[in-house]
Amino acid sequence: MSLHDQDDPALRAAQEDRLRKVWEPPSGLFFRWTDTNNNRVGIWYVLTAFCFMLFAGVLALVMRTQLAIPANALVSANLFNQLFTLHGSVMMFLFAVPMFEAVSIILLPQLLAARDLPFPRLSAFGYWSFLIGGVFVSGSIFFDAAPDGGWFMYPPYTTRTDMTGLGADIWMLGLSFIEVSSVAAAVELIVGVLKCRPPGMRLNLMPLYAWYILVVAVMILFAFPPLIAGDILFEMERLLNWPFFDPTRGGDPLLWQHLFWIFGHPEVYIVFLPSIALFAMMIPTFSQRHLLGYPWIVLAAVGTAFLSFGLWVHHMFATGLPKISLALFSAASEAVAIPTGVQIFVFIATLWAGRVVWSTPLLYALGSIAMFVIGGLTGVMVAVAPFDWQAHDTYFIVAHLHYVLIGGTLIPLFGGLYYYWPLITGKKLSDRLGRIAFWVLFAGANLTFFPMHFTGLMGMPRRVFTYPAELGVSGLNLASTIGSFLTAAGVALICLDLALSPRRQKAKRNPWHGGTLEWLAHPDDENWGVRSVPLIESRYPIWDQKDFVKKVDEGRFFLPDAEEGRRETIITTVLDARPLAVQRLGGPSVKPMITAVALGSVFILTTYHMYWAALVGSVATLAAILWWLWTGTAEIPEKDEKPIGHGIVLPLYLSGSASPGWWAMFITMMADATAFSGLVFGYFFFWTTHPVFPPHGAGMEGPGVFWPMVAMTLMLAAWGLTVAARTANRRGGVGAARGLLGLGIVLSLAAIGAGLAGPWTTALAPSLHVYPAMVWTLVIWTTAHSGVAAIMQGYTLARSLAGRMTPKHDADLRNITVYMHFMALTAIVTYATIGLFPGVA
Amino acid sequence: MSKRRPRGRMLHGLHSRIVTARVTLWTLIVPPTVWAVHFLFAYLWAAVSCEKAGRFASFPVLFWAGTALALALIVASALVAMVQKETPGDPPPHDAGTDTDRNRFLATATWLLAGLSFAGVVFTALPVLFLLDCR
Amino acid sequence: MTSPPRQSALAPFGAEAIATFDTTVVLTIGACLIFGIVALLFFVAVRSPGDRLSHTQGMRLVLVAGAALPTLILAALLVYVLPQMRPLPVPPRALGVSAVGEQFWWRTVYRAPGQPVLETANELRLPVGQTVTIELSSPDVIHSFWVPGLAGKMDMIPGRINRLIVRADKPGLYRGQCAEFCGLGHAVMAFDVIAMSPADYDRWLADERRPAVPAADPAGAATFAEYGCGGCHAIRDTQAAGRIGPDLTHLAARRHIAAGMLPMTVDAIARFTRDAPSLKPGVRMPAYPHMPPADAQAIGRYLAALK
Repeated sequence: MSLHDQDDPALRAAQEDRLRKVWEPPSGLFFRWTDTNNNRVGIWYVLTAFCFMLFAGVLALVMRTQLAIPANALVSANLFNQLFTLHGSVMMFLFAVPMFEAVSIILLPQLLAARDLPFPRLSAFGYWSFLIGGVFVSGSIFFDAAPDGGWFMYPPYTTRTDMTGLGADIWMLGLSFIEVSSVAAAVELIVGVLKCRPPGMRLNLMPLYAWYILVVAVMILFAFPPLIAGDILFEMERLLNWPFFDPTRGGDPLLWQHLFWIFGHPEVYIVFLPSIALFAMMIPTFSQRHLLGYPWIVLAAVGTAFLSFGLWVHHMFATGLPKISLALFSAASEAVAIPTGVQIFVFIATLWAGRVVWSTPLLYALGSIAMFVIGGLTGVMVAVAPFDWQAHDTYFIVAHLHYVLIGGTLIPLFGGLYYYWPLITGKKLSDRLGRIAFWVLFAGANLTFFPMHFTGLMGMPRRVFTYPAELGVSGLNLASTIGSFLTAAGVALICLDLALSPRRQKAKRNPWHGGTLEWLAHPDDENWGVRSVPLIESRYPIWDQKDFVKKVDEGRFFLPDAEEGRRETIITTVLDARPLAVQRLGGPSVKPMITAVALGSVFILTTYHMYWAALVGSVATLAAILWWLWTGTAEIPEKDEKPIGHGIVLPLYLSGSASPGWWAMFITMMADATAFSGLVFGYFFFWTTHPVFPPHGAGMEGPGVFWPMVAMTLMLAAWGLTVAARTANRRGGVGAARGLLGLGIVLSLAAIGAGLAGPWTTALAPSLHVYPAMVWTLVIWTTAHSGVAAIMQGYTLARSLAGRMTPKHDADLRNITVYMHFMALTAIVTYATIGLFPGVA
Repeated sequence: MSKRRPRGRMLHGLHSRIVTARVTLWTLIVPPTVWAVHFLFAYLWAAVSCEKAGRFASFPVLFWAGTALALALIVASALVAMVQKETPGDPPPHDAGTDTDRNRFLATATWLLAGLSFAGVVFTALPVLFLLDCR
Repeated sequence: MTSPPRQSALAPFGAEAIATFDTTVVLTIGACLIFGIVALLFFVAVRSPGDRLSHTQGMRLVLVAGAALPTLILAALLVYVLPQMRPLPVPPRALGVSAVGEQFWWRTVYRAPGQPVLETANELRLPVGQTVTIELSSPDVIHSFWVPGLAGKMDMIPGRINRLIVRADKPGLYRGQCAEFCGLGHAVMAFDVIAMSPADYDRWLADERRPAVPAADPAGAATFAEYGCGGCHAIRDTQAAGRIGPDLTHLAARRHIAAGMLPMTVDAIARFTRDAPSLKPGVRMPAYPHMPPADAQAIGRYLAALK
């Protein structure tokens, strides 16, 4: 397959000029930061996350210095608590997860030969949110105001405002902000994998990295929202004195632990699977053959994702829950080792079957697998509940988790750095320096963490700023401290190697002889991503497809041009990657940055109890989002369709379930529904822990049946009207659709009043007991959704009136209908729970 | 497949329906979803019966019925996947960009996930055999 | 350093900890074997020249060694460990002990049928060979009760009462420590555990039930009263009846003060009395910077005599 037109060099040069102009990054002291191209944003993202890792590493060195000898007085207990809280929180929330998302933002479009991800501005928004939230949280330690309740933030210690200060609010609100940006990135990555693959790249030809990203992003979608739900309850307790975790008023500290670990355990796999994904790219390259057992890897990824949601209670083995409950989680925790074993053996089999080419990235990969296997085996040990009753909250766990995270996240990332550096800079890092750094790092990490297995079993708990000499662990601790500085030296060597990179020569193209699409990248890279979007017929097209690189470079595949001067990429079907449409992508814009600043201000001002200012920030955020959507999305193209080469003509506008926007809404709402189910879980959790729930007494009788049923009816009617408006609009009844939407707005607004009327008229007092607090929370959540529905209906109505939405170009209406489906479900669950369940219970 | 007996014909009909059944990303996650639902069911059953009744019955019928149902669903999806992954044709590895290989891939992955989910459900059931009360 | 390990899961003295130690040995050996085999396989795989393993053989390796074997090993492991989760059987008239975790010390309460409730602090005494149910609770934040040599840990959660069933099998002097991060003083919240023969134990109980020893030096008692120490601390049969801090009735019979932090000496008591916050972060007891050292010594002498 070849395009003969492309034989003409002048034509090719003209195309390249147009592409270059379209993809030109903005310049200027400020405007260069308004870029949204994934290459640029991804690199900022990676660098920022890397800096946070170095920062958290320095915190760890201070801690290790304090613990070098017993009864040391280098840092105070107060500072030490801030150090370990921030170390854990920064490594998890500001390094591991964002780093995976950052790497994926760089790599995914290259792996899929897409020009960019479907929502480049969303990536930029995610980055700016991450930067603002990250600096806010980490910077707090310089003002002695860092969170000091541990990265797990267990109430009631952390919800007692007399015991913990501003730090707890900084943790909750700062990190909630970052969680929002993580979910945004997850949406981007899922839609990227499902809808932006090159033509022909069916599900069974997808690079394994993309499979893992899909799985991990879906995990984020279900793991982060329960934590966000927990954050909401937590801040309601701290700021408004609603007693969710206060046992004297019916609350229960264990609810937080459930919500936190429903997030916290999948989180481990969220940061580990992307590393396995890097191995799955490197190992075939260095074995010089296809990966053996492709479906097995998919099994392992999907299986791990599911099982990882059935492990959370193994962080709560010592809380005194019924043994049978513990045993169920113990069993699932053992089961999750099976898919992990499969992945390891797939790599063994591939290396065995192939001819191994020894290299620095492979050294990192194998070294990290060794560490990870040790961490995995101690993981099997701590999944055994009786053993965990000893090991839990001791240095044994510190050893275990660092083996898992260093072997499963940190060293693989360094391996990935050595492997993919040529892709990003066109230059190779030093093999020699890289190997020295590896051995220093490897020796250091093992010297630090291996002795900790014994330190823990010999009686040293975690999170202690000091220990007595009589414990008999002084030697082990000193070894760990020496090891930690060795580890730091290894990281410093890697940084040195990176710093020397600008002085080195460019490497040749595809220096490792990889077979997957990312190696199309040229050392003198252009910003447009890929010269033409190829047709894929193999898992390793560079190895298997004849003249593949040449054809791509000469623009002989699809979309070799940018005739209309717009950034574009191809949208394909989910299963078989059949081309569906050409998507116009957002270019450089200041809007994502402004929105991130506005949203950040809401979180930060709330931390300092400046509620009126925060309210102004919320309005500004809403305005920024609407401005962004109005000017940048669902744009009606100047023509219906365009040719992309080879006689294929694709539409320029998509709406409904084929379009990326619809998928983004659907996925976002899955996350929303998950957060909501966390709140509903809270309600029924309290039902199980109280003998009588709802309780009796003044301020606790409510919200009755009448108002909840009225609110439910109104919301269902608003939903029905929106669905009707969609149908009417599609059939050409623009006027009818506008009328239905207008009526829908009225009903959505009325539903807010009716929803609040229930607990209001029955005078439910939320600070009195957890029952009224829980009812109010569910009602506020649901009425807020009603309010958002009104805004969406209003926006769509305005789009229709402004001629930006027509019967044919109805993406806005189709997308808000997805929202309305979820809102209707929320209304049914909430109002049935608070209105009808008390009658049943 | 016998064509003489009516039962054989019925089976044959079932077989051909399985072969042509549509496989998607959604069918891929059926077995682990069954595991997840069963796990949630087991957790809620244990938590609610311990918290609300203080104990669970010495022969927990509800639990074993749920477990049998889950295993049956997983086996059923494994059988469907097995038939589909054995689509006759070229030798392995099946990694071409064809409809058949895409179906084989999805079926193989489903089949493997069914195996893992089966083990997962059995693992989840083991504690109930060994721990007979809430302490 | 030459003293025997008193707070180690590797030197168990209780039935539960002994069983867990045996499990630990089995798990460790298993983990080492598996690590060795996986490492060896990686070595062989990397060193082998290409095409030694066909597609079919490779798939069989993954199926057998990567999936089937782990499943069987893990199932066997579950069958081995699940029965160990059953708690020890509790005899009907078991001794009742409560331990209450407070920031940052331990309140211990002994209940025996027909006897008044006995409260002491920062020390747990157990009769060897008898099964004891320890009721764990907390009035403030989450703590975790951990005596590694006795049994695994269990959390003390506000609003809940957890029950830990233990049996000490070897007499001796041991140590426990809070294992759940509970605030500034988390690292210095320890206690002594003394496992003694049932006869010694009964004798100790009887001793503890005695009223406080009359002060040999009335000045010390007066100073104690003058500074209002009795507002927080109790010394039975005196004016001091506070419930906020540890009971001091037989303080001198304990081995340490300040939750396992300082030795039981007059000097240590005096120092802690004058300036508890600088010795123990987060402690609720205020500093008395204006207290003359002589007064502190007097209080120290008084308390150190409360055998």
